[in-house]
Amino acid sequence: MELNEIISSGLLELYVLGMATEQETAQVTAMAKQYSEVKAEILSIELSLEHYANIHCVNPHVKMKAQIYDAVTGKPNNSTVAVPFPQKEQPVPAKVIAVSSFWKYVAAASIILLIGSAILNYNYYNKYEVANDDLATANKEKLNIEQQLAAAEQSNDELKNNLNVVQSRYSEPHLLPGLPTAPDAVAKIFWMKDSHDVYIDASNLPDAPAGMQYQFWGIVDGKPVNGGLIVTNKKEDKFKIQKMNSFGRAEAFAVTLETMGGNPQPKGTMYVMGKM
Amino acid sequence: MDQIKKYSEEELVALLRGQDQQAFSYLYDNYAAALNGIICRMVDETHLAEDILQEAFVKIWNNFIHYDSSKGRLFTWMINLTRNLTIDTLRSKGYKKSRQISRDENSVSNYHDKSSAVDKFDSIGLRKQVANLKPEQKSIIDLAYFSGYTQEEISKEIGIPLGTVKTRMRSAILELRKMLEK
Repeated sequence: MELNEIISSGLLELYVLGMATEQETAQVTAMAKQYSEVKAEILSIELSLEHYANIHCVNPHVKMKAQIYDAVTGKPNNSTVAVPFPQKEQPVPAKVIAVSSFWKYVAAASIILLIGSAILNYNYYNKYEVANDDLATANKEKLNIEQQLAAAEQSNDELKNNLNVVQSRYSEPHLLPGLPTAPDAVAKIFWMKDSHDVYIDASNLPDAPAGMQYQFWGIVDGKPVNGGLIVTNKKEDKFKIQKMNSFGRAEAFAVTLETMGGNPQPKGTMYVMGKM
Repeated sequence: MDQIKKYSEEELVALLRGQDQQAFSYLYDNYAAALNGIICRMVDETHLAEDILQEAFVKIWNNFIHYDSSKGRLFTWMINLTRNLTIDTLRSKGYKKSRQISRDENSVSNYHDKSSAVDKFDSIGLRKQVANLKPEQKSIIDLAYFSGYTQEEISKEIGIPLGTVKTRMRSAILELRKMLEK
C-alpha cells in the first residue's frame, strides 16, 4: 500500500481511537516504525483528538484529588491488568460465577451439617462398638446363667426323683449297717412294695479306691444275685439315690467292693449287709 | 495547546515510571478534567462518574509499566483507557451505549449547556471551534471518541457503509487539525 493511501485511508484515525483490528494495529505499528510520515500523521491525529478531549473537559469535584490519591497510593496492587496501546482494552471476563448469598449460606450450612454428621457418626460408631461388646458380654452371661439354670433344674429334678423314692407310700426303707471290716459304712435301700424296684442311697459309703467299684447284691435263696454297680467315685453321683436291678424277692442285701466293672459272683470285701 | 503543562510528556513518563507521587499530582492536575469530560459524556450519575474516574487513575498508575510510548502518546493512551473502562463499567451495569448520543443537529449546543456549569477549564473560543464541525463530522467523532462505538456500530447507527466510516472519520479529524493550526 502506498504511504499516501495509508495516510488518507482513515485507518490511522481508527488506530489512534483504538478501533482498528488487531491485524490493522500490527500493520500500522510496523508502518509507523518504518516511515516517519506515518508516525508524524499518527502524532497529528493524536494531538487533534486530545485537543477535542480538552475542549470537552469537565473539572471533577475538588474532593476527588485526595480521594484518588489515597486509592492510588493505598492500594498499589489493586489492578494490574495490562492495557495494551492502542487496542481497545479487552475486558477480561472474570471467571467468577456469581452465587447468590442464599446459596452461599446453603453451602456453608451443608458443610457444617456434613461435619456435624461425621462427628455424630463417629460418636455413634464408638457407642455402637461399646454396646456391641456389652451385648456380647451379656449374651455370654445369659448363656452361663442358662447353663447354671439347666444344671440347677437337672439337679432339682434328681432331688425330686430322690424325694419321690423316699416319700413314695410304697417305699420301704431298710438300713444296711457296716460290717466289722468297715464299721463306719452304712447304706440304705428303698424297697418298692408295689413294683419290687430297689433303690440304694450310698452316700454314707466311703469313697471307692481307684480301680475299684461297689457292687450291690441281693441274697435270694441263700445265694448272691447281682444287683448292679453303684456309682460312688463321683462326688455328686454318690448322693444320688440310685435305682438298682430288681429282684422278685430277696432275703437280704449286701454291698461289696469289687474290681472295676464288677464280678458275676462277689469276690471282694463286703462292706454292709442287711436283712429284709 | 499544551500550554497548561510544565513537563513534557517524556519527562512525565519518566516520573510516572518511577511511581513518583509528585508525578501523580501533576498527572491529576493536568489530565483529570479531560478524562472526567470523557466519562461525563457517557455517565450522568455523579457518583458513578467519580468511581470510574478513580478507577481510571488507579489503572493508569498501576498499569503504567505497560504503556509503550513508541505506540502512541500518553494522553491518548489514558483517554482510550478511560473510555474503555467507562464503556465496560456501563455494560457491566446494563446501560445502553447510545444513552448520551443525540443525533439531533442541535446536539452541539446540548452538551455545551450540560458541561458549561462545571467546566472552568475551557475557553469560549474552543467551544466555538467545535461548532464549526459539520454535524455529521461531529457525530462520528462523538460516537467513536465518547461512546466507544465500533466501525460496524457507527455504520449501523448513522446508516453509512463501513468504508465511509473511515473516510468520514478522517475528514472530521482533518477539520479538527485545521482548528489547531489556526
